[in-house]
Amino acid sequence: MSAAASRDEKPAPRVLMAPVPVGEIFQVAAEYERTGKLAEAERLLRHVLDAHPTQADALHLMGIVVFRQGRRKEALEFMEGALTYGVDTPLYLRNICELYRTLWRHDEALAAAKRAVALAPADPLCLHNLAIIHSERAEYDEALACAQAALAIDPKQPGAHFVRAEVLLARGQMEEGWEEYEWRFQIGGAAPLIPPQVLRADRPQWQGERLDGKTLLLIGDQGFGDVIQFSRYIPWAREHSGAGAIAIGCGKELGELIRQLAPRAAIFQKWDECPPYAAYAALSGLPRLAKTRVETIPAPIPYLRADAAKIVAWRERLGSLIPKGFRRVGLVWAGRPAHNNDRNRSTSLATYKPLFDLPGIAFVALQKGPATPQAGGLFARAPLVNLGAEIGDYGDTMAIMENLDVIVSVDTSVVHLAGALGRPVWVMIPRAPDWRWLLGREDTPWYPTMRLFRQTKPNAWEDVVARIKVALAGYLAP
Amino acid sequence: MVPGSLPPAAASRHLVPLVERAIQAHRHGAPETAEKLALEVLELAPDRPGALSVLYEIRKAQGNRPATEALARRLVALDPNNFPATNELALLLLNKGDLAEAEVHARNAVRIAPENAQSHNLMGMILTEAQRPQVAEYHYRRALELAAARDPILLANLAWNLKNQGRMEESRALYEESFAGAPEVRQTLLGWARMEEADRNFDRAAELLDKLEALAPDDVGMKVARAVVLGRQKKPAEAVAVLDALAAGREGARLGPNELLEKGRLLDSLGEYEAAGQAFIEGKKLARELSGQQYLDQHANQMIARLKGFFTQGRLKLLPRAGVRTDVPQPLFILGFPRSGTTLVEQTLTAHPMISAGDELPLINDLTQMMPRMLNSPLTYPEALAELWMGDQRDGLDRLRDNYLARARQMGVVRDEAPWFTDKMPLNETHLGLIALLFPASPVIHVIRHPLDVMVSAISNLFTHGLYCGHALETAATHYVRVMELVEHYRTEMSLKYLPVRYEDMIADQEATVRALLGFVGVDWYEGCLAFHENRRYARTASYAQVTEKLYDRSVGRWRNYRGVLEPAIPILAPIMEKLGYSTE
Repeated sequence: MSAAASRDEKPAPRVLMAPVPVGEIFQVAAEYERTGKLAEAERLLRHVLDAHPTQADALHLMGIVVFRQGRRKEALEFMEGALTYGVDTPLYLRNICELYRTLWRHDEALAAAKRAVALAPADPLCLHNLAIIHSERAEYDEALACAQAALAIDPKQPGAHFVRAEVLLARGQMEEGWEEYEWRFQIGGAAPLIPPQVLRADRPQWQGERLDGKTLLLIGDQGFGDVIQFSRYIPWAREHSGAGAIAIGCGKELGELIRQLAPRAAIFQKWDECPPYAAYAALSGLPRLAKTRVETIPAPIPYLRADAAKIVAWRERLGSLIPKGFRRVGLVWAGRPAHNNDRNRSTSLATYKPLFDLPGIAFVALQKGPATPQAGGLFARAPLVNLGAEIGDYGDTMAIMENLDVIVSVDTSVVHLAGALGRPVWVMIPRAPDWRWLLGREDTPWYPTMRLFRQTKPNAWEDVVARIKVALAGYLAP
Repeated sequence: MVPGSLPPAAASRHLVPLVERAIQAHRHGAPETAEKLALEVLELAPDRPGALSVLYEIRKAQGNRPATEALARRLVALDPNNFPATNELALLLLNKGDLAEAEVHARNAVRIAPENAQSHNLMGMILTEAQRPQVAEYHYRRALELAAARDPILLANLAWNLKNQGRMEESRALYEESFAGAPEVRQTLLGWARMEEADRNFDRAAELLDKLEALAPDDVGMKVARAVVLGRQKKPAEAVAVLDALAAGREGARLGPNELLEKGRLLDSLGEYEAAGQAFIEGKKLARELSGQQYLDQHANQMIARLKGFFTQGRLKLLPRAGVRTDVPQPLFILGFPRSGTTLVEQTLTAHPMISAGDELPLINDLTQMMPRMLNSPLTYPEALAELWMGDQRDGLDRLRDNYLARARQMGVVRDEAPWFTDKMPLNETHLGLIALLFPASPVIHVIRHPLDVMVSAISNLFTHGLYCGHALETAATHYVRVMELVEHYRTEMSLKYLPVRYEDMIADQEATVRALLGFVGVDWYEGCLAFHENRRYARTASYAQVTEKLYDRSVGRWRNYRGVLEPAIPILAPIMEKLGYSTE
């Protein structure tokens, strides 16, 4: 029906398109950013920047929005634009420092952080960021000083406490380090150890006191590697607390492992299955309660054992996949991508390529997760058996490790598993290591069968792999 | 009685005299009359076999291949027990290169006439071409038993078959016997010459070609064979001259596709790369035009998508694996794109006393065809593997495995004293998943070579593997990429006993590479593997001339001589070249 023929139809109301002030759009975009609606924020900011391409706040916020979506290089362009038009704005400098850091541009990160501190000496966040970049550059004295300065301004700044914890623990100053380490739960965005609906004021955090027959709840917090590492303290906690029962909350992937250390414990995966308890503690908090020092780190190796039937089954499977006479080297090249330090610790399978020139070695990929397909695309000289396709759980991984000569890996949960089993495991450690690997040494008191190969330059694994290659040739020589 | 219900024979009885007249006319050399009569009959009764037969003969004499084939098909369809028609159809299909269908009709011929020498001869010819020479040999020998006398043609056919099996002495003796019985048969002399050439008796081959030339100075096959022999005698310029002379004698001075490619290869050895490139392009173009074949692009795409869709981690966890037989020799698989160096690797490995040579075994591909029947599945491969979840098909993979092993033994490639035998069917990597299910403990060696060097070989040779991808450079490159992506998929989704071996490493560091290969197979070091060119075994594939020479660097980086010709393939191959670490600099 044509318009003329439809006389009964009422004309549409005329909409007046009044321009919305840029400031208002910006505020809405900022709100979207704050609430995690990044695509919407980006859309609005594009409108703003189309109209005002030199608007520094919009460029800066766009940098943050794009960064949070994983587009770091693009984010940097916006941030640099913000600094071009908003010269010497401490907030921009503080944030661009973090961006440079994640892009491995440490010198620029340091310069920006220092400039931010110079411009805003009373801003503890600027000092915190400077502490982080110093820490990542392995400039630990400077990192401690900056964290200290931040805490002088704001004694309750969790980030600065955490920087101190990491540096102190890495230096082996554990008594003070463990105390600072407790601040990890206060860091912005950190998940609470116990969800509020389960937490009760009358059931406090365990501080090492006797519980006299009551139930102690232990929580497998942080990553799988942390849980495996600190699960060694479970028998100590049971004995030291005098608890009548132990309940342990952990990821379902780890339940069977934890069961080995606490056969009678109530192990649960969902909080609504959590039994009544008298006190709780994080597994990662037990070293503090045990007053662990470097020389008293308990290492009752092996404290985990692979299932005997699985060892036999995997022996047969590997026997069919790897010719007789070949030495077997397990490989892991990436950790969980969501880990906040993943870019620092993970690499690619191709990094290991020089190892594949060693004769008489078959490599066994233990990699799981999104990095697994790299095993399909590497056409190097040695056989590579991708077991990632067949590994079901950590129980399989442990049984496979019992059939390998050595495991070479980046710093991920698998190395803790190998260490807990007492298998030979060589770990590639970033230039700025996680605190648990301490500083400078090739061994670790946590795992006697572990050998550490440390980076000499950030984000450069070549020389690490070259050293591993030499070591492997010697280690596996007939 | 309703007229439409009359049986055709009765209804067309009145046409019998016409058919008789057509047959008589054809028999007495009056094809025009015969054709007219036959068409008249067929207009009224399209299914009259006599008229169809006459018309078949006429069309065949006219060289009208499509019509000939259509008529033969009609005759066979009308009467599946018509031996002459079945024989003709099988021969037509053999000449056309459709070996799979030719075999169907040849088998029918044997069913119809099990004591007819020709039916067994058919089977012999077709199965020899289909690279199952051992089964073919049985049929040739049966044909010889059934024939009244030692038929020289049959003897020559069997000789060619034995040449393909590398049994040169026996082949030679049969050629001699055949020649003594019928010295004027050109095909015998040509086959014999080619046998001697394959056995590296170049002078003897040249003598036989001289004989053939005296008999038939214009024989095209003789001239091409002459060029090949001259090429192998390191006289490429003379070889090119022979081909040029051949062309000059033709209308339009044109060579055929094979001749052009041979010329290109000769020019390549003379270092005349531009002219060689032109010959390759022209040869391929002509091959496409004459055969009407082209890459089955959509089919390839769909097949690979189905394989990727089926072989996934989740599904593979649910699938059983065949058990490993320890009572019989086991296959070791040499995978690779055609012309990537699989023959070189096979010659190297089979120089080892513990490894016998299977050459290009069509068995894995055959299993994919037979699978629905063997697993009683309404689905085709790979989906038919889902039958393994049924209670009565749990041992399905064992049965498929045993079929492979039994047929390999039947083909004579298994030596009991050697625990391994090779299967180097190119592009078997397409079925890497199936191979790993059937033979989980068998080593899989994947030969990898600079993709552009593979492409040089692809444009300079004819091959039908890979769904005719070799008919054009771009389609060869496309198929290469698709198959490599599929290999990546398998390697991601499955745990495989897989070793990639670089052709370039075989050239640059032969001993280390051969040590790695033997170690991977799990056999002791054997010095003789380094001297694979002394391995007298005749490799049937197009590479045989190269693998009888020592390793030479010239085979690495040949693509640089053909950069211009290869340009269209570079963007297609760029990502995979980067992944494999090959540059175009």
